[in-house]
Amino acid sequence: MIKKLLLMAMIICFFSSCAVVKEYEKVNINDPDMALSEKKCDRNLTTAHSYREAAVGANGGKTGGGCGCN
Amino acid sequence: MCLFAFAEAYSQTSQDSSKVYKKRVLETIEVDFLSSYYSQDGDNAAVSGGIGTEELTDVTGTIVVAIPLNDDDVLTIDAGVSAYTSASSSNVNPFDGGQPADPFVASSGASGADTWANVTASYSHSSDDRNDIWSAKVSISSEYDYFSAGVGGSYTKLFNEKNTELSVSGNVFIDSWSLIYPSELRAPGNGGDDDDDDDFNINNYTITGNPNYAPQFIPFNNSGRNSYSLGFGFSQILHKNVQGSLALDFVKQQGLLSTPFQRVYFADVEDSFIENFQLADDLERLPDSRFKVAVGGRLNWYLNETFTVRTFYRYYFDDWRIISHTASIEVPIKITDKFTLYPSYRFYNQTAADYFALANENLSTSDFYTSDYDLSEYSANQFGFGVSYTDIFAKAHIWKFGLKSIDLKFYQYDRDTTFTSSIITAGFKFVMD
Repeated sequence: MIKKLLLMAMIICFFSSCAVVKEYEKVNINDPDMALSEKKCDRNLTTAHSYREAAVGANGGKTGGGCGCN
Repeated sequence: MCLFAFAEAYSQTSQDSSKVYKKRVLETIEVDFLSSYYSQDGDNAAVSGGIGTEELTDVTGTIVVAIPLNDDDVLTIDAGVSAYTSASSSNVNPFDGGQPADPFVASSGASGADTWANVTASYSHSSDDRNDIWSAKVSISSEYDYFSAGVGGSYTKLFNEKNTELSVSGNVFIDSWSLIYPSELRAPGNGGDDDDDDDFNINNYTITGNPNYAPQFIPFNNSGRNSYSLGFGFSQILHKNVQGSLALDFVKQQGLLSTPFQRVYFADVEDSFIENFQLADDLERLPDSRFKVAVGGRLNWYLNETFTVRTFYRYYFDDWRIISHTASIEVPIKITDKFTLYPSYRFYNQTAADYFALANENLSTSDFYTSDYDLSEYSANQFGFGVSYTDIFAKAHIWKFGLKSIDLKFYQYDRDTTFTSSIITAGFKFVMD
């Protein structure tokens, strides 16, 4: 667990060391396919996964509750 | 229609009263229609103790309406209905069909179909500089044997010229089951509540195998289930073509975590049958507490005007000793300025919960047991393909709404057990003029 937390801290440090991207440079970042979330039309797929798989969370979908699922 | 008219009027009034220009968080009312058709099959139905058909179909329709109340605030109403038919659920009472009871044959009773309905209202507020976002939501969902009420909230902070984003969110769900037990356990003399409409009477049937059927069934004394989740998010623009995010979710669940109509067959109890159906030795019994932790990351890379690469990985573990890995990749391919293709692949695996055993392998002396294969060890592969149409000018119209995009996707999911499923999803996005 400690190793995983250290790894996460290293990744965060790596991320925050990047050069700042200005607003006018964000054309590609703002492309809808670059969104850091699932597309709305995939929501029912994610819900199906949450019903049939034990793992939930960390993906913007259900984390438990709201259904009689795992 | 009234909702749209009110929202349009409210939105327009607020716009007129703005004196200082700032870009609206949401320019106009947006409406998404989402629908899906899902089907699955397999031979390990939990309702019949890990033996039996898992055939199920589900049709879901959802409407999501996002309404800008002013420059800073957005109200979103999300309402959905899901109707399903399930062969395994029909076998909660397998004796009400026109054929001999059999775990691989759907029965014809009312339990074979149900409707799930949900309404969620969420409200978000953004600060003038758009660097602080607060949101709150309430939800209600209901189906025949399950009711849920939820509240949640989140706070997001952007900084570093909106290159970095931190968020925290929390949700609470207060749920309750209507306890519906397998028909043989509801029968008089077995300690169950004979409240079904099927008039099942075990004394009218010939029991084969062990004729002295005496399940160790004790009804659940709690029908509530509470879920509490706390999530943290971090996202970072790494380059003008690359961005990534990390998410950490903690979930605590308490209450009735067993499903009250899932049978268990013990290794140390002689089997009893009516027709071809093995009678329950007990229901699944799971601990009344579960703590889940999920850590996930996304990394998206805009390769060029044609290709984008979207990746996701998640590590999950809980105190039922399930460990899971999920990894997926999707490569959107823009073939024209309006059409994009979405090939994708997803891998998933998990270890088994401590309490899982195959049918007829659990022991009656254990405190907890289940033969729900969703809690077993398995791995799964999913292949997907989709196409989307986008018209940024939303020229095609229905009433005052312009069609902005259409998404169609298909996914095929196969476990290394007998379970397979597929889903077709469709999404239509409209924006108000």
